[in-house]
Amino acid sequence: MDAQLKKGFLELLVLASLKSAASYGYKIIQDVSGIIDISESTLYPILKRLEQQEFVATYTEEYNSRLRRYYRITPAGIAKLRECRTDFEETKKIYDYILSEGGR
Amino acid sequence: MNRYEFLYKLDKALTGFSDQEKKEIVHYYEELIMDARDSGDTEEAFINRLGSVETIVRTIRKDGSFVTNVKEKKDFQLRKVFDITAKLVGYSIYILFVITVGSVAFGFCASGVSLLFAAAVGFIRDSVAEPTIATQVMYAGGMVLGGGLFLGGVWGFKWIFNTAKAFIEKSLEFADKWIKKIGENK
Repeated sequence: MDAQLKKGFLELLVLASLKSAASYGYKIIQDVSGIIDISESTLYPILKRLEQQEFVATYTEEYNSRLRRYYRITPAGIAKLRECRTDFEETKKIYDYILSEGGR
Repeated sequence: MNRYEFLYKLDKALTGFSDQEKKEIVHYYEELIMDARDSGDTEEAFINRLGSVETIVRTIRKDGSFVTNVKEKKDFQLRKVFDITAKLVGYSIYILFVITVGSVAFGFCASGVSLLFAAAVGFIRDSVAEPTIATQVMYAGGMVLGGGLFLGGVWGFKWIFNTAKAFIEKSLEFADKWIKKIGENK
């Protein structure tokens, strides 16, 4: 997939993986890698960005007597995912056009 | 490579990141390794899968600059101008402040030393001639006051020295960041 396109999708996919419950780095990769190719070093900047945009909030919790960083989606994050619906309609139109015989 | 070696190498490779960022990134990888282990991977195998530390750092760096570029493109010029203006104003105020404190400190030092000297000379001359308790106390008081003024001035200089050190360190860090940024854009 085109790198720029993938970048945008990765962010949304990571966000969507948090929709049902808060999660942590390792599990996010497990969840998302079934759909798109994602590496550990790509996930870090994505999480950082989502946090900066306040689409996710973080907290640490003890697990197996070590600290684990959890990410949970914020209301702004949920609103961002909702925008995907309209984006999808538009994207669909664009792809329909691209894949058709050029609008004929 | 075990996780200590890996994390150590990672920490060393993360040049140009702030201490806070470094800590976060290292912790992120440590957590990943521990979670991988807990779900049945061996430490070694997982670390191998992560790839080289250099590639990891490059990926984070590349993506990081991509983020800031896109995010700041809109008002980048404006922000830059604003940033520089704010910095200039800040530095001018700082320099004025340093000059003020410096002159006051110098005044304290100079007057302190001269008072100390004058009082000491007076004290000695008085002791040789016809000392009375009143004059001796007066000269001794003068010496103490001079010494106090001098120490006050020294304290002021010390303060300037300390802030200047922090200031220079900060500027060096800033310059370092810029040089790295320019290098990356090439």
